[in-house]
Amino acid sequence: MKKTNRGGSRFLIGLMFLFLYLPILLLIIFSFNAGDSSAVWRGFSLHWYSQLFQNRLIMESLYITLLVSLLATVISTAAGTFAAIGLYSLSRRKRDALLVVNNIPMMNADIVTGVSLCLFFVAFFQGWGSFARWMNGIQSVVELPTRLTLGFGTLLLAHIAFNIPYVILNVAPRLRQMDKNLVDAAQDLGCTWMQAFWRVILPEIKPGIVSGALIAFTMSVDDFVISYFTAGSSTSTLAMTIYGMTKRRITPEINAVSTLLFLTVLLLLVIVNVREARQERRSASMEPRKLTWMEKLSVRTSTPKWRWVKRGAGAAMACCFVAAVIFLTGATSSRPVVNVCSLGEYIDTDLITQFEEQTGIRVNYQTVESNESLYSLLKSGGADYDVVVTSDYMIAKFIEEDMLEPLDYKNIPNFELIDERFKNLHYDPEDQYTVPYTWGTLGIIYNTSMVDEEITSWSALYDDKYAGNVLLINNSRDALGEALLYLGYSVNTTDEAEIRQAFELIADANRRGVFQGKVSDEVFQKMEGGNAAIATYYAGDYLTMAENNEDLAFVVPDEGSNWFVDAMCVLKDAPHKTEAEMWINFIASTDANLANMDYIWYASPNREALEKYPAYYEELYGEELDQETYEIMAAPPEVLERCEVYENLPGEIQKLYSQLWVELGTG
Amino acid sequence: MSKKLISLADCCVAFDGELVLDHINLYFNDSEFLTLLGPSGCGKTTTLRIIGGFLTPTSGEVLFDGVRINDIPPNLRQVNTVFQRYALFPHLNVFENVAFGLRVPKTETVNGRKRKVKVPEEEIRQRVLEMLEVVSLKGFENRRITELSGGQQQRVAIARALVNRPKVLLLDEPLGALDLRLRKDMQSELKRIQQQLGITFIYVTHDQEEALAMSDTIVVMDQGRIQQIGTPEDIYNEPKNAFVADFIGESNILDGIMHEDYVVEFFNRKFKCLDKGFAPMEPVDVVIRPEDVDIVPPEKGQLRGTVTSVTFKGVHYDTIVDFKGFKWLIQTTDYHPEGETIGIILNPDDIHIMHKSEYSGMFGDYSSYSEEYDELEDVSLLEEDGEGGDEE
Amino acid sequence: MKNKRSLFAVPYVGWMTLFVVAPIIMVVIYAFSSVEGGVTLENFASMGTYASVFTRSFWLAILATLICLLIGYPAAYFISREGPRFQRVAMMLIMLPMWMNFLLRTYSWMSILENNGLLNRFFSAIGLFTLLNRLFGMELEYFPLINTPGAVVLGMVYNYLPFMILPIYSVIEKMDGSLLEAARDLGAGSARVFRKVILPLSLPGVLSGVTMVFVPSVSTFAISRLLGGGTQMMLGDLIEQQFLGGAYNPHLGAAISLVMMVIVVVCMVVMNHFGEGEEQAVML
Repeated sequence: MKKTNRGGSRFLIGLMFLFLYLPILLLIIFSFNAGDSSAVWRGFSLHWYSQLFQNRLIMESLYITLLVSLLATVISTAAGTFAAIGLYSLSRRKRDALLVVNNIPMMNADIVTGVSLCLFFVAFFQGWGSFARWMNGIQSVVELPTRLTLGFGTLLLAHIAFNIPYVILNVAPRLRQMDKNLVDAAQDLGCTWMQAFWRVILPEIKPGIVSGALIAFTMSVDDFVISYFTAGSSTSTLAMTIYGMTKRRITPEINAVSTLLFLTVLLLLVIVNVREARQERRSASMEPRKLTWMEKLSVRTSTPKWRWVKRGAGAAMACCFVAAVIFLTGATSSRPVVNVCSLGEYIDTDLITQFEEQTGIRVNYQTVESNESLYSLLKSGGADYDVVVTSDYMIAKFIEEDMLEPLDYKNIPNFELIDERFKNLHYDPEDQYTVPYTWGTLGIIYNTSMVDEEITSWSALYDDKYAGNVLLINNSRDALGEALLYLGYSVNTTDEAEIRQAFELIADANRRGVFQGKVSDEVFQKMEGGNAAIATYYAGDYLTMAENNEDLAFVVPDEGSNWFVDAMCVLKDAPHKTEAEMWINFIASTDANLANMDYIWYASPNREALEKYPAYYEELYGEELDQETYEIMAAPPEVLERCEVYENLPGEIQKLYSQLWVELGTG
Repeated sequence: MSKKLISLADCCVAFDGELVLDHINLYFNDSEFLTLLGPSGCGKTTTLRIIGGFLTPTSGEVLFDGVRINDIPPNLRQVNTVFQRYALFPHLNVFENVAFGLRVPKTETVNGRKRKVKVPEEEIRQRVLEMLEVVSLKGFENRRITELSGGQQQRVAIARALVNRPKVLLLDEPLGALDLRLRKDMQSELKRIQQQLGITFIYVTHDQEEALAMSDTIVVMDQGRIQQIGTPEDIYNEPKNAFVADFIGESNILDGIMHEDYVVEFFNRKFKCLDKGFAPMEPVDVVIRPEDVDIVPPEKGQLRGTVTSVTFKGVHYDTIVDFKGFKWLIQTTDYHPEGETIGIILNPDDIHIMHKSEYSGMFGDYSSYSEEYDELEDVSLLEEDGEGGDEE
Repeated sequence: MKNKRSLFAVPYVGWMTLFVVAPIIMVVIYAFSSVEGGVTLENFASMGTYASVFTRSFWLAILATLICLLIGYPAAYFISREGPRFQRVAMMLIMLPMWMNFLLRTYSWMSILENNGLLNRFFSAIGLFTLLNRLFGMELEYFPLINTPGAVVLGMVYNYLPFMILPIYSVIEKMDGSLLEAARDLGAGSARVFRKVILPLSLPGVLSGVTMVFVPSVSTFAISRLLGGGTQMMLGDLIEQQFLGGAYNPHLGAAISLVMMVIVVVCMVVMNHFGEGEEQAVML
């Protein structure tokens, strides 16, 4: 009688699976794409798979992910098991109270857990800092490190902290089901308590421990949010790397790595499934109990402990363990390191390799989304960088807040090569802290196939004509700056009314639906793919986009714009100052500047490099560098005249900026 | 003559300030079958756990062969236990369960040096098989525990305890989970094993029939106190107070007054009895067992009453008779229909006199006859709760 | 003996205090203080500005949870009525996507939903836009799909659907078959059996599914970031901005976290209470 329904229900189930698998299928298909787009097929290629194994960022974060998951699993399983046993020997009231606390990390949203741990670690580091200074002051036997930062250690602790509850939840039911007399019986038969533990309790609760461990491993591998808040930014799990990439351009190498992961798990599950089906058939109805522990998709505990997760996790864990051992034995060398943090898409990565080969110093290269994010990261103790690259106004702020270390220019002879125009600038008037990295202008990028007029004014950004097609730049300084310029005010105004007027301009356009979204480095993908008509971004980045989409045009509006210098500086108390200065010197060299200029299309502050670039280009590509392109890259004086630099704003104005900025998102 | 093997001297146990064992003084002889009998929560399991070493008395001493063992952990005592629900190790098969105790390496001090001693594998095998034979489980070695019936699990538990050659075997309601038939079989089986091995069995139960059938000595307990110690016959025939009288078998318990030696008054009538040594005119409890009452035609009876209910019990009828508002249970082989007026005769040896106690007036009236039966059936359930409480 | 074992709980209690209780206390401290230090309610007072974010987060999360329930319940129910081999494979297929990082799956949706993405290309290829434009005189070149609330809800449903299906499935699957037979025996028709027996009995599964979908949905920041394009700001984004994003103010971030935590816990408690009450909660 049910036969009739079955076709219909199967159809619905099929639809659901289509929904679940279509995106994954696309992900896999595009991992074989010859081009680097995830929407346009350019032919079959295995290019991205070979690239994958050379991509240090991905491979390293894969390694971190596996390592932290394994360690966290092992530790939390052992600790959770003992804790569960301890809990079950407490009185019921105490036990119930503790179990409530135990459930907190599972009930809480991940972000709350992440944030709370982040705050806790930072507070602890501050406390530790004072303690260590005091200890170092009164004794000289042990030199305690005074500066701790988020990193692998905190990541591991956080993972252990959120895994233990899952282990306890899996072990506890086993303990509850266990006949309490078993331990008495074992002792009665001559066991000491420890012997009873090993011979009776452990075998009895083993299934619970195993499933607890597998759940813990799965949770660890899968986690993103808690890692994001506790790993700082010098340690990056695979999920964090992917998040970092999705903000910019995701490289199809990620498609490749996920395809490989997916196929591995699929294969393992199929094997396990087939084997099990065979076993089940063999022992028919003999032992139906055998499966139950795995099948316990315990609803009561709300934990996602599903059979498939666990089996897959088990198999994956075994693989990972082998991989981790191989990795560990290979990667334990203690080379000198320098931690560099820069804005996204901002270096020719070959330079990192070159530097490493020349000096033997390992470069830990990280990126952040914006100047403001960098500031947040540093403030929240989330980073242990040596060198940071950031913009002029932010440097001023750093200096004002005493966050930078004066440089020893003796170690940076290449500083001499910097053009006089970029020395002793407002943010660092005596050149104590910085070496310029690049410079450029902010402007409007638009797609000529979507916009049929020539844009010369910021007004285009707020024009209903382009509703839904404008991308607002996702940082308060640039976005409000543009509006201020359009209104004829200075970008450095401290008049609250002017700023509010500028904000109202943006907010109004936002309400009218002019903006498609707020973007940072996503702008590359959006503009190259023709997904938006107008955006504002930096000249150098425009040139990168133009390589991939010839329809794009760039303009520095008539109202003027911002011109900026990004510079390298060393953070206060940086642990690797010598290496940091070596790095800065290397990057300031003419060769490095030429390579960088060619790669990121940002103008170099290096006099020689700036002059030589057209020749360098011709030699490299066998064709002449278009003068127009060169002028976009290195804006000529008449353009620069129209432009203002950002000055560091007073505290209350900065506060107003970020407040208005958040308000915009909420509107 | 047997000797004292274990004694409890003035043992008290308190949980959360509540006295669970109240000044227990008790000794156990070598090779005897002793039963601790009482309702749930009476302290019998607690007593057993003290002997097993799972519990240290709050005060008092536990002596083994005259040596104080209060602080010796269970693994070092020459005592083994058969647990209530057997506590067999589910991850081990029958053989390994029995061999468990033998496989545990023991630390022995030889010439002042500690070393671990293991029983050789061959000896383990021999002893386990031997013991499985004793409990009639030969050939079951490789079975898994879950594949055994309740009775077989019971035997494994006994074998597992006995294979260690303890001097004392503690049995905590070992037959509680078995059905009636199996229980009867196991009772005689246990008795046989005890006699065959000649060691002390300390047996805990709430089932008075079981206690009467198996024991050399019965200790009746209630509310953490020992109510009576004696042979089954003593306990049945000479209960010390209303509690014992009621708990062991069925009893009609009446208020009476002892006028002088051998003369007791109840229902406003004097009866001859065999008891003496009471104070003149002392109020007493009078116990009359239902099967001791002879029913006669009303005119011939010392007392006259009306039958209010009759239940057929196979061998006899349970007849409830109303004597001036007090209902007696009388067990008789003759059928007397409801509403019939009957007379009864009490012989002097049918009447048993007890001093008044705190239990006086609580038992012995059969007005609520059926409930009383229910109560007994509930005991096994209550027992579980009691254990849970102990554990805290 | 007992004491010895409960000693095992001591390090655990210490650990919990340090890594569960202390961090939450830190959140509370931050929430009630300002950069300058000192106790203040300013953070909560200024939260009024973000009322729209709260509303949007809860509204989108509730929507996503409802959609998950509407898809997930029938799916779980239908799967549980299939043969064992079908069930096994189906469960495997539901679990499998969870092994890929959810960011990747979300990213994949980005390329589908873009104005110039696969879906719009597909519509354009089949001439949908030409047709519509001709019929209604519009000038459509694409459907705006990405950076809309719908896209964010889609992302949530896509990512958290398995969390809804699995608990419901496991409850229905474990349901005692004789119970259904008993209901039939007592004269209940299929619909009635479903309504009066299966539905109430599967309630624990539904509740845990709802919890497991709602909590991550309401607090997500990656999904709204990728599919909402920063215009669909949710609580997660707001919090993230205060800690690691552009607007550095951990005090405000802590206050928002605290409020969100309290609201979620209250919702859960009320819902679970409601669930224990009776079957009415099924329609929740």
